[in-house]
Amino acid sequence: MRAVHELGLATEILRSCRAHLGDPPGRLTRVRLAVGELSAVEPELLRSAWHALIEGSAHAGAALEIEWRRARQVCGRCGEAPERSPGAWWPRCPRCGGSLAIEGGQELDLLELSYEPRAAREEVTP
Amino acid sequence: MTDVTLRERVLAANHAAAAELRERFAARGTLVVNLISSPGSGKTTLLEATVTRLAGRLRIGVVEGDIATERDADRLRRLGVPAEQILTGGACHLEARQVRDALARPGFDDLDLLFVENVGNLICPTSYDLGEAFKVVLLSVAEGEDKPLKYPAIFSRAEVTVVSKLDLLPHVDFRLDVVREQVRTLRPDGTQLELSARTGEGLDAWIALLERRCAAARERAAAPR
Repeated sequence: MRAVHELGLATEILRSCRAHLGDPPGRLTRVRLAVGELSAVEPELLRSAWHALIEGSAHAGAALEIEWRRARQVCGRCGEAPERSPGAWWPRCPRCGGSLAIEGGQELDLLELSYEPRAAREEVTP
Repeated sequence: MTDVTLRERVLAANHAAAAELRERFAARGTLVVNLISSPGSGKTTLLEATVTRLAGRLRIGVVEGDIATERDADRLRRLGVPAEQILTGGACHLEARQVRDALARPGFDDLDLLFVENVGNLICPTSYDLGEAFKVVLLSVAEGEDKPLKYPAIFSRAEVTVVSKLDLLPHVDFRLDVVREQVRTLRPDGTQLELSARTGEGLDAWIALLERRCAAARERAAAPR
């Protein structure tokens, strides 16, 4: 597991989430991320790393939702962004032959989380 | 249930450390190059040739990332440049704080050019900003001509692509024009170089690029803010 960076990313995600769980900290139930196709992250590996990481913790079972963001190729001449088949890239604009620039697809962002708040009184010790 | 909207990058902590490094390098006029490739593409050999060619002209330092052994740093130290080895202990990439810690060692204060040789891997190092001016990806001709399209993340992010081991070209099925087209598709504004560190073929363009970029980094640091 250490040879893939997805476990490191899962650890970062959990660390970031912990700052938003209220006081006393609640139980994380769901995190939503944006992952771009040029982010070098494999969603399934990230998901299994995530569940391995939170297993046995207070947040066990929290869902990791991944919004897959594709890159666009935008033509510098005609401004079109031609449709791409998954994993395929246009060498030139299919419409006018202009050169294409890649936009987006590098996302690796936290979008949203949900948690079950813990009542403050549970924390109070007599 | 409570919902919270977040606006942060997963690697926010790494990005912050990288931004701090970038600011430090900019103030000192040090050009930092993040060298990425799969294992065995010739990163260290290219660095040896580079350091030899630039001896006496630029002050160079090297930070080496490897899972194990000090071999790479030893190879560079033999050439008289400060070289610090980061052992990642199994991790597949370098992170900005590791580079920051390595640079706390003596010899790295007053450099024109710092190379960070990443762990050999075309995937994981892609997402980690190390405070570099630009990324360079190496692809040796022995690896096959389909690699840019198979690893579009790194080839789209590296400003410079170096096709290495050009001396082996007669022995392998590697069409330079096919690779050039793939790289141009993924990084239209990038620079493509082809060289052999072993024979020296094509090395002039690489050296010229480094000298040009170092001069620009120095000028920017000297310019009043």
